Amino acid sequence: MRLFASGIRKLSRRPATFVTFGLLVGLLVLIVLAVGATANSTMGNGANQATRAAAAKELVTFPGAYDRMLAFITGLGGLFAMIYGAAIAGSEWSWGTLKSAVARGESRVRYLLASFASISFMIAIGVVVAFGIAIVAAIVGAHLAGLSTSGLGDTATLSGLPARLLKGWFAVVEEAALGFTIATLARSQLAGIGAGIAFYFGESFASIFLPDIVKFMPFSVANAALATGSSGGFGGGAAAASLPADQALVLVGVWLVGSLVVTSIFADRAEITG
Amino acid sequence: MSGPSGALTSGGAAGADGLALATRGLRKRYGDRRALDGLDLSVPPGVVYGFLGPNGAGKTTTMRVLTGLVHSDGGTVEMLGKPYKRGDRRRLFEVGALVESPTFYPYLSGRANLRELAASGAPVPSKRIEEVLDLAGLCDRADDKVQGYSLGMKQRLGIAAALLSDPKLLLLDEPANGLDPAGIVAMRDTLKALASQGKTVFVSSHLLAEIQVMADMVGIIAAGKLVREGPLKELLSMQGVVKVRVRPDLMEAAIKTLTPIAPAEHFTETDRDEGWLAVHLAADRAEEVNRTLAGSGIYASGLESGNDLEMLFLELTGGHGSGGEGAFVGLGGPNGDDAHDGGASAGNGTAA
Ligand SMILES: Nc1ncnc2c1ncn2[C@@H]1O[C@H](COP(=O)(O)OP(=O)(O)OP(=O)(O)O)[C@@H](O)[C@H]1O
Ligand SMILES: [Mg+2]
Repeated sequence: MRLFASGIRKLSRRPATFVTFGLLVGLLVLIVLAVGATANSTMGNGANQATRAAAAKELVTFPGAYDRMLAFITGLGGLFAMIYGAAIAGSEWSWGTLKSAVARGESRVRYLLASFASISFMIAIGVVVAFGIAIVAAIVGAHLAGLSTSGLGDTATLSGLPARLLKGWFAVVEEAALGFTIATLARSQLAGIGAGIAFYFGESFASIFLPDIVKFMPFSVANAALATGSSGGFGGGAAAASLPADQALVLVGVWLVGSLVVTSIFADRAEITG
Repeated sequence: MSGPSGALTSGGAAGADGLALATRGLRKRYGDRRALDGLDLSVPPGVVYGFLGPNGAGKTTTMRVLTGLVHSDGGTVEMLGKPYKRGDRRRLFEVGALVESPTFYPYLSGRANLRELAASGAPVPSKRIEEVLDLAGLCDRADDKVQGYSLGMKQRLGIAAALLSDPKLLLLDEPANGLDPAGIVAMRDTLKALASQGKTVFVSSHLLAEIQVMADMVGIIAAGKLVREGPLKELLSMQGVVKVRVRPDLMEAAIKTLTPIAPAEHFTETDRDEGWLAVHLAADRAEEVNRTLAGSGIYASGLESGNDLEMLFLELTGGHGSGGEGAFVGLGGPNGDDAHDGGASAGNGTAA
């Protein structure tokens, strides 16, 4: 608990926390507002323009907008979370702060797991706050597009929202765990971030050729776990050959636990010579 | 600088054999490279123990093994009276360490860094953080971010961090790194004060002059093995030197005159041009040397005496090929430390 609280104090003062969150929310707000503002513009031509406008309006139309905002946060947010996880784990090695804790008699595994738990906590706050901001942005976007926001209070959607946010958080945490593990294995911030980004894009790219394998991969299962069938969503894995949501959710858990087990085993055996 | 508060632990820190820290046959390889090759150290409680060795001798590796950062390939360690094995991490709750360079979160202040460090390992009362900041002379800058600290300030913070849990055994790897003269004096006083409270300070250094004024005991290692260990005074008395300057044409006569008080192998003509003759004798026999020479009508134009750790160091480690010894002679001292100039020339003469 001491370590967990300390982890949160450290993260809440860390520039990377605010940069990551700010970048995600900034992009999200920018896109949603831009989409809303241009939904009725007459740029482009004919049928193409019509489908684009329809898709744009769909993005900011409630209650569907709830899901689409969440998909945005778990999609792009998943990539950001992975980078964040890699940055935190990698810096423990590159700054040597893990060394200091271990030399004080701290358990490596406990230290790293507590650090990851505090990352998960920060992600929970991040997901909720980003979601709130996204909804506000979507309302503004809807106004810009001249759409009604009457679906805002749709009770069926609202009652399902906490569970969906929880699932979204879980998926993002899994992606953070992946970055955390890669950076631990690489013992470096940059290598962790680089490998993580390569993983992310590699997965989407490979899904073109190997959809049956890639659908089991971390980013794809994270997206699939939240899929409702209707929502397309932004960023991340391929929607083409995704798993059913329930199955995907189990796999998210498997990836999460697997990553942390690998981190623990590696950290326990590693020689800390930095 | 005031001494740290906390329980005094004179006898409690010692093992059955009376040692605060003991290694027996400690071995460690990094891949093909043998860093420790059967190291036997015996550190009694309540002393400042100077841990010396040329670059690459295995000092940092020893510290890493003792703090559980790397795992030894063989041998045993006994710490504060009990065997210390892999997995005994809680034993480190009574140990404070600074291994190689100090490490911190650059975006946190010095105080915040200590606070977060205190969340790991042994619990630390929060007032202790202020005590160690004070001890390290960092109170003024404790709220500044560590990324804005100078090298010496980081080092001070590293020493403060090592003292955080008021350890019975303190392991410091080249703590004087980057410290200014005032910082070095303050650190020396602190370490001596800790030892006088019954705590054990195990400190590696390249600053031999520093160890010479601070350590009660010295262990010298080379290529991962102990080559000499003992109370500093004892080692130095074996390593005393009296240097006399006589006219070059009287050199032979001077040696002949002094032969009754010092066997022939105790003479080194350090630098023929200058006419200095080094006699390996306890330093307190300088007067006797002078009197003997004068008795034969040979008058010294210069007389120096001292116990030179550097000479002992070079002599003991010079023959070991783990790197460093060539550089020592060539560079005239590993840290460009002027304080050893006289000794270094004597040392060269001896080693040659
Ligand atoms: N991480 C590592 N990987 C491979 N070899 C290493 C590693 N760390 C140290 N060594 C080797 O182990 C030997 C002992 O190194 P160590 O750092 O313990 O020496 P040292 O006595 O602390 O030297 P210095 O005075 O330069 O600090 C050296 O030959 C070194 O090259
Ligand atoms: Mg070293």
